[in-house]
Amino acid sequence: MTVPAFAIVGHPNKGKSSIVSTLSQDESVAISLIPGTTIDNRCYPMAVDGEILYELIDTPGFQRARAALEWMRSHAGTAVERTDTVRRFVDEHQGDPLFSAECSLLAPILEGAGILYVVDGSRPFGEDYEAEMEILRWTGQPSLALINMIGDSDYSEDWKKALGQYFRIVRVFDAMTADFDRRVQLLLAFGEIREEWRGALEKAVHILREEQARRRTLAARVIAEMLARMITHVRRRKLTADEVMDDAREALLQAYKQDLAVMEQDCRDEVEQIYNHRNLERHEPGVQLLDNDLFSQQTWLLFGLTRQQLIATGALGGAAAGSVIDLAVHGASLLLGSGLGAVAGGVSAWLTSDRIANIKVLGHSLGGKEISIGPMRNINFPYVVLGRALLHQRMIEQRTHAYRGPLELASRPEQLQLADATTRRRFEKLFSKLRKQETWRADLVASLASLVENQTRTATP
Amino acid sequence: MTHTSLLGDLIELNEVLDADRAIDLEQRKQRDRSIGRKLQRRRSKPAAQIRAWLQEFDSTAARNSGLHGTRLYHALCLALVITGLLTGWGLTSAVLFYDGNQPINIVNAVVVLVLPQILLLLVWLVAALPIRLPLFSSIGATLGFLNPGRLAGHLAGIFSAKENRGLAMLWDPDNVAILAPAARWLFSFWSQLFAFSFNIGALTAAFFLVSFSDLAFVWSTTLDISNETFHQLLITLSTPWSAFIPDAVPGAELVANSRYYRLDEGSLADAAAASPQLAIELGQWWPFLIAAISCYGLLPRLLTLGISWHRFHHHLRNAVCNLPGAPELLARMNSPLVSTLAKRPEHTHAATVSSIVDTSEAPHYAIRCPVIDWSGACTRPDELTVQLGNMGIEVLEYLRAGGRQTTEQDEELAASLCRHRPKGVGILVKAWEPPLLDFLDFVRGMRRQCGQKKPLIVLLWGGQDSVSAADRETWQLTLAQLGDPDLHVEVIGQAT
Repeated sequence: MTVPAFAIVGHPNKGKSSIVSTLSQDESVAISLIPGTTIDNRCYPMAVDGEILYELIDTPGFQRARAALEWMRSHAGTAVERTDTVRRFVDEHQGDPLFSAECSLLAPILEGAGILYVVDGSRPFGEDYEAEMEILRWTGQPSLALINMIGDSDYSEDWKKALGQYFRIVRVFDAMTADFDRRVQLLLAFGEIREEWRGALEKAVHILREEQARRRTLAARVIAEMLARMITHVRRRKLTADEVMDDAREALLQAYKQDLAVMEQDCRDEVEQIYNHRNLERHEPGVQLLDNDLFSQQTWLLFGLTRQQLIATGALGGAAAGSVIDLAVHGASLLLGSGLGAVAGGVSAWLTSDRIANIKVLGHSLGGKEISIGPMRNINFPYVVLGRALLHQRMIEQRTHAYRGPLELASRPEQLQLADATTRRRFEKLFSKLRKQETWRADLVASLASLVENQTRTATP
Repeated sequence: MTHTSLLGDLIELNEVLDADRAIDLEQRKQRDRSIGRKLQRRRSKPAAQIRAWLQEFDSTAARNSGLHGTRLYHALCLALVITGLLTGWGLTSAVLFYDGNQPINIVNAVVVLVLPQILLLLVWLVAALPIRLPLFSSIGATLGFLNPGRLAGHLAGIFSAKENRGLAMLWDPDNVAILAPAARWLFSFWSQLFAFSFNIGALTAAFFLVSFSDLAFVWSTTLDISNETFHQLLITLSTPWSAFIPDAVPGAELVANSRYYRLDEGSLADAAAASPQLAIELGQWWPFLIAAISCYGLLPRLLTLGISWHRFHHHLRNAVCNLPGAPELLARMNSPLVSTLAKRPEHTHAATVSSIVDTSEAPHYAIRCPVIDWSGACTRPDELTVQLGNMGIEVLEYLRAGGRQTTEQDEELAASLCRHRPKGVGILVKAWEPPLLDFLDFVRGMRRQCGQKKPLIVLLWGGQDSVSAADRETWQLTLAQLGDPDLHVEVIGQAT
């Protein structure tokens, strides 16, 4: 069986490339104001592990349909000869710049591709379309007409009447706003124009649905990973001797905010890549931290131990050493060895810690003052981040690849509202574990991803 | 040089996946599906499949990180083993110190070398529970710094950044959601390694002292404990090994003979029995001590060491499958590669437009000319005539071209029109339809027939709507390709 192929044909600037871009989820399709931007056929195969299930072929728009039809009429005797006449036209004008667009677009049709004729339903029907529709009819190939609604006006009823005379199936399809279900319904409609193609297209739709589900799972995973990292993120900074504390805190806070912003942006980029949006312009304000004084704490460290811990360690070490003496004298020292050892160890740790802290080993100071920010304790923070991420994922999932405007995420509500108390409890349990950095299983993020995935299906951020 | 450890693979994987994010997803899909198809046999074992992927991926830089991390891990293990051995040896030597004056109190030896180990073992069991007990949580948090495993983690910080970076990812707060369980069991493993080495050191020291010196053990207490009670206590303590090593269970006679009083510079219960035979008998406590250390120290620690190692590796394996990017990698390897993208980049025609054909803000031509209706643009001629009149264009007549007319008819129209030498020609077009080459051919034909300098005015008609700025721009850009200075584009009504 031959692979179903569909040539997207029509007038220039009527949305052929937009439809191809939407159906193939390929934003590299050039969409331009100047007619004739597409000068060559471009093939978009839907392949599964190398097996091609169908092909979409974007073609240049008709440029000299009247002249081409005149040539064909002058060379065809009867209706029987029409298809051969079209073939002859293509053969004889191959390489002729006058009819390069017509030859390009007719070639795949003559090789057996189905015809998807695209018109703009927001503009009135005109007689200038008749020549190209007539040429397509002459090819004798199965065809379907798509009324693409580019603008606000609606002339689709007029178009249906006109197109109905040339095409058996006429569908209305908005390439800019069509969601996934509409896209697959259109693919299934392609199967109606030739019975033998139906199986391959149904298989393709099944695989595309699976792929869409997989994308959602992956997007949820990426969002969950970002959430976990943002909540648990800690930024530390060792203080130099002459550093002003307020300056250091402010610098650390800015660095922390920057870290969170980068994590969020990385997540956005990755979700967009999952849905094949690579070069998207995105407008989104940074996430607010909600609380300005929750981060900073000052600790003194040596070998990673705080001063209190270090003194306690010194005291215990001293006590252990002293207890050896106590044992050696069979307790005759009345535990004086342990007691004195503890005092000596603790005091010496206290007195010498500053000096030891300044010693460098292998280029690293053994200790010093350090301030840190994180992990994020604000209980609303994860819901804000999640709400933003879900909004973005939803918009990306629904966005067609034909739409080239920037993605505006600014004016939407931010915080995720969970009406379901059980779901909120499950989220809160996981967020709480992350905040406290208490986790006993490596699949905590997987659990979070599963909850997020449910939200991608149900929540309206 | 390669490493095959799970830890090394985890460190390497983390680095590879991190760098991988910079690679285009489509490329990653193709690469990973290609590798994944070779590794389908391991699909049921995700960690093994990912590790095999890592071998196929073969990144030298990441592999070096894995090597550095593994080396540091082994170095810390070795340090803990040596420290444990020395501590065990040292403490046992101190406890079993005997210079011939005062015999060793077996109670002291048990209290120092066995009892704390039993208590610490109980603490470990509580800590190993998969549920959090609030009291133990707070105690654990307070005393956690004394854990030799955690101290080893802190010590790792003093190594160079390159060596430390890989291993430190285990306790990096950013990775806590995935690696905290592995880090917890790594610390436990290190602690148990220290404890196990401690017991080896203690036993070695005990054997050494027993072998190369004569030790005399006694037991002594102020409490009112009879020999029988103490003996019963020892039998209870010896229960675990009494069936296998009966010689390591102190007999009633030994207990009775080795009770010690410090009065009169120390004396035994049966002072009259003090003889070389008794000296030998007092030395017979050592099997009990060795068995007690082995049973309550060495063997449980061997068990906890094994459990910790097993749990550590279990969580490492889980972490391998849960690292950021790893589930995505598995999905890429095991899902069919679905591609809908174009096979090759698009060749587009970049029109060479040096300028655009200008439109006037308020055009006024003061001209009487025929207007050609291209492709049936004119549906309301009366309204159109008024609007053209406002632009200073008085319509002499409406003629038809394009659409249902043939190209031959168009040529004839142009020829006959220009024979009358009009001052100019208006061409009415639908603004919403883009200018095709068919139209450009017609304009070129008109110019040929009418000669230069005659204004050809392309009139954009918006129908029921006004002409959009985008449509106007499309016409301006396209007609500019003709390079005709006397070709004008005007909007009928106002462009929006």
